[in-house]
Amino acid sequence: MNRETSNQSTETRDKKIKTPFSIAMARLRKHRPAMAGFRVLVVLYSLAVFADFIAPYGFDNEKRENAYLPPTKVHLFYSGKLSKPFVYLCKQEFDHFYRRIYKEDKSSPYTIKFFCRGDSYKILGIFKARVHLFGVKEPARIYLFGADSRGRDLFSRILHGSRVSLSIGIIGVGVSFILGMFLGGIAGYFGGKIDNIIMRLCEVVMMVPSFYLMLTLRAAFPSNLTSLQVYLLIVVILSFIGWAGLARVVRGMSLSLKEKEFVQAARACGISHIGIITKHILPNLFSYISAALALSIPGYIIGESALSLLGLGIQDPYASWGNLLSDAMAISEIQRHPWVLIPGIFIFFAVAAFNVLGDGLRDAFDPHKTMSK
Amino acid sequence: MRKGFLLSIISLLILCCGCNKESSISPRTASDKKVSQELDQYIPEIGKRGGTLTLSTVSDPKSFNPVVAKETSTTEITNLIFEGLTRMDGVNLEVKPNLSRSWDISEDGLIFTFRLRDDVLWQDGKKFNSDDVIFTFNDLIFNPAIPSSSRDIFTIDGKKFKVEKTGEYEVRFTLPKKFAPFLMSMSQEILPKHILEKPLKEGRFNYAWGIDAPINEISGTGPFKLAKYLPGERVILERNPLYWKRDSSGNSLPYIGRIVYLIVQNQDTAFLKFKEGEIDYYGMRGEDYPALKPLEARHNFTVFNTGPAFGENFLVFNQNSGVNPRTNNNFVKPEKLDWFRNKKFRQAVSCAIDKASIINIVLNGLGIPQYSSMSPASGFFYNPDVVKYEYNIEKARTILKEEGFVIRDGFLEDAKGRRVEFNLYTNSESTERIKIAQIIRKDLENLGMRVNFMPLEFNLLVSKLDSTYDWDAIVLGLTGGIEPHFGANVWLSSGHLHLWYPRQPKPSTAWEARMDQIFVQGVQEFDRNKRKTLYDEWQVLVSENLPLIYTALPLSIFAVRNKFGNLYPTSYGGAFHNLEEIYIKP
Amino acid sequence: MKAYIIRRLLISLPLLLAISFITFLFIQIAPGDYFDTLRLNPQISEETIKLYESQYRFNEPVLIQYFWWLKNLLKFDLGYSFTQKNAVSSVIKSRLANTLILSLASLIFTWLIAIPLGIYCAVKQYRWPDKIFSGLSFFGLSIPSFFLAIILLYLASITGILPLGGMRSANFEGLSWAGKILDILKHLIIPTVVVSLAAIASLQRIMRANTLEVLRQRYILTARAKGLPETRVLYKHVLRNALNPLVTIFGYHLSDILSGAALTEIICNWPGLGSVMLTAVRSQDMFLVMGTMLVGALLLILSNLLADILLAWLDPRIRYE
Repeated sequence: MNRETSNQSTETRDKKIKTPFSIAMARLRKHRPAMAGFRVLVVLYSLAVFADFIAPYGFDNEKRENAYLPPTKVHLFYSGKLSKPFVYLCKQEFDHFYRRIYKEDKSSPYTIKFFCRGDSYKILGIFKARVHLFGVKEPARIYLFGADSRGRDLFSRILHGSRVSLSIGIIGVGVSFILGMFLGGIAGYFGGKIDNIIMRLCEVVMMVPSFYLMLTLRAAFPSNLTSLQVYLLIVVILSFIGWAGLARVVRGMSLSLKEKEFVQAARACGISHIGIITKHILPNLFSYISAALALSIPGYIIGESALSLLGLGIQDPYASWGNLLSDAMAISEIQRHPWVLIPGIFIFFAVAAFNVLGDGLRDAFDPHKTMSK
Repeated sequence: MRKGFLLSIISLLILCCGCNKESSISPRTASDKKVSQELDQYIPEIGKRGGTLTLSTVSDPKSFNPVVAKETSTTEITNLIFEGLTRMDGVNLEVKPNLSRSWDISEDGLIFTFRLRDDVLWQDGKKFNSDDVIFTFNDLIFNPAIPSSSRDIFTIDGKKFKVEKTGEYEVRFTLPKKFAPFLMSMSQEILPKHILEKPLKEGRFNYAWGIDAPINEISGTGPFKLAKYLPGERVILERNPLYWKRDSSGNSLPYIGRIVYLIVQNQDTAFLKFKEGEIDYYGMRGEDYPALKPLEARHNFTVFNTGPAFGENFLVFNQNSGVNPRTNNNFVKPEKLDWFRNKKFRQAVSCAIDKASIINIVLNGLGIPQYSSMSPASGFFYNPDVVKYEYNIEKARTILKEEGFVIRDGFLEDAKGRRVEFNLYTNSESTERIKIAQIIRKDLENLGMRVNFMPLEFNLLVSKLDSTYDWDAIVLGLTGGIEPHFGANVWLSSGHLHLWYPRQPKPSTAWEARMDQIFVQGVQEFDRNKRKTLYDEWQVLVSENLPLIYTALPLSIFAVRNKFGNLYPTSYGGAFHNLEEIYIKP
Repeated sequence: MKAYIIRRLLISLPLLLAISFITFLFIQIAPGDYFDTLRLNPQISEETIKLYESQYRFNEPVLIQYFWWLKNLLKFDLGYSFTQKNAVSSVIKSRLANTLILSLASLIFTWLIAIPLGIYCAVKQYRWPDKIFSGLSFFGLSIPSFFLAIILLYLASITGILPLGGMRSANFEGLSWAGKILDILKHLIIPTVVVSLAAIASLQRIMRANTLEVLRQRYILTARAKGLPETRVLYKHVLRNALNPLVTIFGYHLSDILSGAALTEIICNWPGLGSVMLTAVRSQDMFLVMGTMLVGALLLILSNLLADILLAWLDPRIRYE
C-alpha cells in the first residue's frame, strides 16, 4: 500500500512541477503520529456525522428500570454452544444494603441484530429513517458503555454529544479565524493608526485570563436559554476569546509579506487592497494557518466541555461530552459507576489527535524549524 | 420551626425538627439503629469538656441574623448562637422553659406572663433582661420594614401580639385571639437590644450581622458563639463560657469545646469527608446508604434511620397574576397563567410524575411517595387520607383532553392553540433535586409539553421566588415541622413564602380563602382533635388543588461517629437536639 | 531602565481602562436591568437603593454611569455583592491570596520541573529518556485539566494519601505553626499538579528546542574544544542562553496558569477567585463578576510587566524603547 502511494507520487513528480503544497503533503504523509491523529479524527467525525445511525438509541431514550446498568456483557456461548453474539435481559433489584444488584435473565438470549429498526431520526434533517447499525430486541437493551441514572445508553449519548463537542470546535475556530485573519490582515497590511487600534483591542482581550473572560461573557447572557441558543452562545464566546491571538500572528506575518516582491509587484499592477490581501497575502499564510487551525481547535473543545461541565453550557437532556462528564464531578459517582469517566477519554482523544495533527502540519510546512511557539 | 418554613438547599437537613412518626410506613432495612423506645428515660451523664465536633454544610451562611434568615444554611448556624424563651424537648416533645424560668397563663388563654432567668449573659458579658424580649418582638419581628418570616406566624387574622415589660425579668404577652401553639412558638430567638438598637435606628438592620460583620459583634445567649468565618471554607463556633445551663453536678455546659462547619462544594464532598473520618456527622442521600452501611463497624460509626424526613421536594407553578409595578408587564405571561392557575392542569401534571422512578433512581429506593402537605414524620397532624393523583399517564392525558388541550405535531396545545412550553428551574447545589427535575421534565415531555430545564443558583432562585417573580415552574424543598401553623408563612395567601403567589392582598381563589380561614381558626383552637379536623381539611385542599405538587419523601438516615457521649438521636430532633449535653468520649 | 519601567507602566494604564470599560459594558448588556432587580427586592431598603443610585447613577447615560463606576473603582470600591451580602472588594480580598498561593506554587513547580527536564531531553536527544518524556509531555498537553483533576481526586479517594480538595483540614485550627503549613502544602499538591502539567509539557518542549539550538552554536564547540568539562558547558553557556527566550513567554504562561487555576479551583474546591467567579456567574451577581474579572486582568497585566522588566534586566540587548 505504502509502496504504491510512493510509486504514484514519484510518477506525479515526474509529470508535474512540485508545488510547496504537494511537498508538504508528502511530508505530512510520512509523519506517522500526525497520520494516526488524522485517522482518529476521521473516525470521530464519522461517528458524529452518522451518530443517529450508529447509536442504537436516541439521545433521550430512557428506560428507568435500567438505572446505572453497567456495560452490557456480550455473550457468544449459549448453553455451551457457540452462537451469534447476544445479550441477556438485565433486572435490577436492591440487596439488604440497598445496593443495586443486576441479574441477567438467562432464560432467553437476545441476539444482537445488525441494521435493525429502532428510534426514528432524520437524515440531513429531511428523510425519516429508523435503521440502526445494531441493536437488540426490547425489552433487552445493549449498553456498550453502561447506562446513566435514567437508563439512557451512554454510548449513544456520547455519539450524539460528539456532534456538539466536535462541531463547536470547527465552527468556533472558523468564526474566530475569519475574524482574526480579517482584522490581523488589515492591521498588518495598512499599518499605522488602524494597526494600532486593532492591536490594542487584541491586547485588551488577551490581557484577561481566558477562563474569567469566558465566565463573564456567559454571565452577560440570561441563564434560561434554549439549547440552540446556548450552542450559538458558546460559539460566540469562544470565538470572541480566540480571535485576538490569531489576529496578532497574522498581522506579524502580513507585515513581513507586505515587503515581499510579489506583493509589491501586485500593488504596482494596481490591484485593490482587498484583492491583494485576499489573493496574495492570505494564501501565503495558508501553511501557518492550517497548522494553527488544528492546534487551536482543542481549545474550543475544552472550552465547551468546561462550560458544560460547570452547568453553564449544554443542558440535559441534550448531550455534549462536557455535559456527560459532569456526572463524574462527584467522586463517589465514579466509585460506583466508573463508566462516567468515558466521555473524558473521548475529549482526551479528540484533543490529542488535533494536537499531533497540528504538530505534523507545522513540521510539514516548515521544515527548518523544529519548534516554534 | 418557630421561624416558619424555610427554603432548603438540600433535601435532608442536619438539625431538623420532627416528631414521633407513625410506625412501619417506610421501607426500612433490618439493622439500622432506630430511635429507641426508652428514650423517655434519657438521663444525661456527666461529660468531659473539650474536643471538636466537625460538621459540614453545602452552602455558606448568608448572614448571621436569624430574623431575616430565609434559608437553612443560615439558621443551621444561628440556632447554636441564639435561644428563645422556651424550647421543645427533643425527647418527649414537651415545651420546656429556656430563657424563661416559668410562665402563667390566664383563664381565657390570651395572656401569658413569662418570668425570665436573671442569670443569663449575652456573649459579650452584658446581662439579658426583658428589654431584649420586648425589642425582639416589638421592634424587629413586628417591624414592617424588616422582612421576617416569623411575622406571618405571630400575626393572627391581621392582628399582632401585644408584648409588654412588666418587670426587669418579666414580660407579658397579650394575644388578640387564642393561639394554640403559642408556647412552642416562643422558641423564637431573642436578640440583644444593646447591640442591634443602633443599626435599627440607622435603618441598617437588614444588613446588620451580615457575613462581613465583625465576629465579636454577633452575640447571643446560646451554648456556642461565633469564633471565625472563612468564606467558602469554614465557620467555627466556640463554646460559650458564659452559658447559663449547668449539668447535674453544677458544671457549666456545653461540654464540646468547638464546632467546625466545613463548607463543602457539594454533598458528595461531605460524603467522602465523612468516609475519610474528617467529619463526625453525615445526613445521607439514598445513594450513600449502600456505600456507608457496610462500613459501619469497621469505620466506627453508627447509621440511624428515623423514618421519613421532613424535608420535601415538590414542583410548584407560578400562579402570580400580579403586574410588575415598574414595567407594567405581567409577572407571568397570560397564556402560562391560564395553564398554571388551572387546577386540572396541575392535576394532570401530578398524574404524569413518575414518583416510583424518583424513589428508585434518586432516593435509591429509600423513600416514600408524598401526597400530603405534611410529612408522615409530623405524626399527629399528618393526614394520610388525602386526594392522590398517582402516576397514571393515561389519566393525565384524559384530564388535559377534557380541558381542551390537544396534541398537534407532537406538541401539546391549549384550547386557544397556544403551544405549552415553559421553563423549569431548580437549585444547582442539590444533585438530587436536579435529577428529580430531569425526571419531571421527561415525564411532562411525554404529555407533549416542552419544558426547558435549567438549574440555577439557590440565591437566584430565592430572589426570583420572593422579589422578581419571573419564573414558570420550580422544583424546590421546604423544611417541615410537627406544628402546621408554623407553615403559615407558606399557606396563608398573604404569606411571604406563599410560593405560587406570595403576599396576596386578598386570596385569589376560593380554596386559598378557605385555607386562610383554616389557619386562622386552627391556631385559635385549643382542642387538639378539633385542630386536627381543621388541618386534615387543609391537607385535603392542598392535595386536590396542588399548589405544590409533591414528589417523594426521602428517609431521614444519618451516620454519626461513635465518639459521643449522651448521644440520643430522636426522630424529632435528629442527632444533636441535646447538643450542649453531648460530650466527646476520651 | 527606570524610564523603561515607567513607560511600561504608562502603557498598561490605558489597557486597564479599556478592560474596565468592556467589563462595564457587560453589565449593560446583562439580562434585564440589574438595578431593577435590586429595587424589587424587599430585603434591600429604599435608602440603600438611593445610596447606590447616587453612587452609580444608573438613570444616566452609559458613559456617565461608567465614569461614576470608575470613580468608585479608584477608591477600591467595586460595588456590593447582593448574593454574598458583602462588599465586592472584601469578597475578592478574602479569596485573592488563595489564588495567588496556587498560581505561585504552580509557577514554581512548572519551572523547577520543566527547565531541567528540557535540558535533559535535549542532551539525550532521540534516546529513550527523550522519547519517554516527549510522549509524556504530549500526554500532558492533551489531557484537559478538569479531566486530570477529576482523575487525580478519584485516585486520591481510593488511596487515601492526599486530601480530596479544599485548602485546610478540619482540624487545621488545632495544628502547630509548622503543621499548618504542611497541611496547606498537602492540599496544594493535586491542584498544583493539575495546573502545572500542561505548562510543564509545553515549557519542556520549548526548553528542549532552545537547548538544541544553543548546542549547535559555535561557541559551544569552542568551549568544548577548550576542554571545559561537559557540566560546565551546560551550566555556564547552554543554560543561560537557552533560558533567555523563555522569559518572553513567561507572561503568556501566566495567563494560562491563572485561567487553569480558576477551573482547577472549582473542581478541587480550592477557595480562590475561580470558585467565587462561578458562584457569581451562576447567581448573575454582576458587580462580583466584573470585580473578579478586573482583578484577574490586573494580575495578568502586572505579571506581564514583571516579565518585561525581568527580560530587560536579564538581556542587555533589549533596548529600553
